[in-house]
Amino acid sequence: MKWRYPFVFITFLIFFTLVIGRLFYWQIVKAEELSGMAKSQYNGVIKVLPRRGEIKTSDGFPIVANKVSYLLYINPTEVKDKNKTIYTLSSLLDISIASVSSQLIPDRLWVPIKSGIDAKKKEEIEKIKLPAIGFEERYARFYPEASTAAHLVGFVGKNEFGEDKGYFGLEGFYDRLLKGKEGYAVELHDVLGRPILAKRNNNARGSDGGNLLLSIDRSVQFLTEQKLKDGIEKYGALGGMVGIMDPANGDIIALSSMPSFAPQKYWEYDESLYKNPFITNTYEPGSTLKPIIMASALDAGLITTQTKCNICSGPVRVSDYDLHTWNDKYYKDTNMIEVIQHSDNIGMVFVAQKLGVDRMISYLTKFGIGKSTDIDLQGETVPSFKARSAWYDVDLATTGFGQGISITPIELLTAFSTFANGGKLLQPRVVTAFENANGEVLRIPAKVKGTPISEKTAKIMTEILVNAVEKGEAQWTKLKGYRIAGKTGTASIPVKGHYDPNSTIASFIGFAPVDAPRFVMLVILEKPTSSIYAAETAAPLFFDIAKDLLSYYGIPPSE
Amino acid sequence: MKKPILIIIFLIGIIISLSIVKVIVYNGLSTSGVYVGKVEEEVNFYKTQNAKLLEKLLTLSSLTNIAEKAKKEGFTNEGNLLMVLKTSKPLAVRP
Repeated sequence: MKWRYPFVFITFLIFFTLVIGRLFYWQIVKAEELSGMAKSQYNGVIKVLPRRGEIKTSDGFPIVANKVSYLLYINPTEVKDKNKTIYTLSSLLDISIASVSSQLIPDRLWVPIKSGIDAKKKEEIEKIKLPAIGFEERYARFYPEASTAAHLVGFVGKNEFGEDKGYFGLEGFYDRLLKGKEGYAVELHDVLGRPILAKRNNNARGSDGGNLLLSIDRSVQFLTEQKLKDGIEKYGALGGMVGIMDPANGDIIALSSMPSFAPQKYWEYDESLYKNPFITNTYEPGSTLKPIIMASALDAGLITTQTKCNICSGPVRVSDYDLHTWNDKYYKDTNMIEVIQHSDNIGMVFVAQKLGVDRMISYLTKFGIGKSTDIDLQGETVPSFKARSAWYDVDLATTGFGQGISITPIELLTAFSTFANGGKLLQPRVVTAFENANGEVLRIPAKVKGTPISEKTAKIMTEILVNAVEKGEAQWTKLKGYRIAGKTGTASIPVKGHYDPNSTIASFIGFAPVDAPRFVMLVILEKPTSSIYAAETAAPLFFDIAKDLLSYYGIPPSE
Repeated sequence: MKKPILIIIFLIGIIISLSIVKVIVYNGLSTSGVYVGKVEEEVNFYKTQNAKLLEKLLTLSSLTNIAEKAKKEGFTNEGNLLMVLKTSKPLAVRP
């Protein structure tokens, strides 16, 4: 009977070895897989999408906010009447039958059909009580002022992963700040899928996007857009733009360009409209550049206001090119004040020749021409000068009156502002402060980029420009009682190696009131047809806006 | 009884009582998931309502909307507008 003991012992040993072996298999070999399966059964990882930051004008009004929208999804496995579902969704959501049909893949449990559905539409769809469909709440961009300042704010589209991404303007420039950080929350569920309070973990939460506080004055922006729209219609122009800056700190008060687009439905517009022409389009500024050249020569001490132009009695010939005045009128021995007043091209050739190529390039660079203004908007173009060796006598002469050189409107506006603030070149800016998700505000100080001319030169140039408004071609449209400094610009458009004789870019740049400038404004009309001259198109539009601005700021007439 | 045995009994007692407390608390909390779910649902509902109201508020207080309404009421700079009075008599009648 002795064998029984070893037999029982060995049997138990084998049994326990098998049990231990099996336990080893489950606990060690299969541990990771089983743990994952268990977690997937009771753990729920919730993706916490951050809310994109708002963009607020100087009065705190959000011109770009977020609204509730819905994503309609479908579970194809639960669809009973496929045809009815396809036709109903197609007609309600205004999408093609083929598009809905292709989404109903039988082996999928969740298929998105359409996003951006508003609450009203959602209720309408819910009333039909279609089986297998559901809604996921999301936030979408909302523009309370519709397409106002569209070029300035840009729009939110999708990147290659289908995630929200800002394009153009502020949305593009400040995308990382606006979009915030995605977070994850882990939640344990019971057998019925209900959350278990004791095991909630919110440690991996992200943060909502920050808000942008702009220097843009909503009322001025609105007013500018209305006036520009009316102006384009009135003067039969192809398009136009207006930029208004506070010369004290470089704050952009309004920036408007037309034709424009609606950021809410950007996909319905041509892509060429997305770019903000005020910072991306280059053009030959024409006579609006004359004050910059004149101020450079005055600052360098090469001329004074009373310097006589000894070549102004007729057209001049430079390197086989005959240069004329815009109206073929010539003023013998005219002084520098009158050169600007008459917008005398020959007078400016005289000034440019006094300045010389090296000084010309040096001063233009100091004024920020040929360099980025560093404005906080996406897509600024920086047209550079041609190489020093490629400057010929005729280039120097034509640059004197603003032809043969390309700049962007924002460059001109920034450079011109130096006359209004004692010679300082400021960095233009649209955002004055950031506000994080907790409401903490971080102010951004104004930045002075340089001092291209002395305060004295700025004052002299201002008086020359006041004289140009009082006695120049646009005097008929000036505002009575206000001292306004300004200059017209009727620029020819280069086409295939020559200038188009029938179309121009008409512009007017100026600031007011002269004694304590509140704004600097540049108005540009592209190819106006009622008249090709700025004095008859851009200038009246400038003064029309200026009149309302002076009234808005409560500035009384000084004379 | 000896001291170590007392300590062991005391510790075992604590372990048992804490385990019982844990079971009771977890039991209570396990059913609160339903309540939490409802509260979260309610919070989300109010958040959504808030967002919808804000959308309405911003739309109504936008300059675009105000300008449109003002124009309808006759506040305009346009000089060539013809105003039609719906009343049978002029507003001011000479006595």
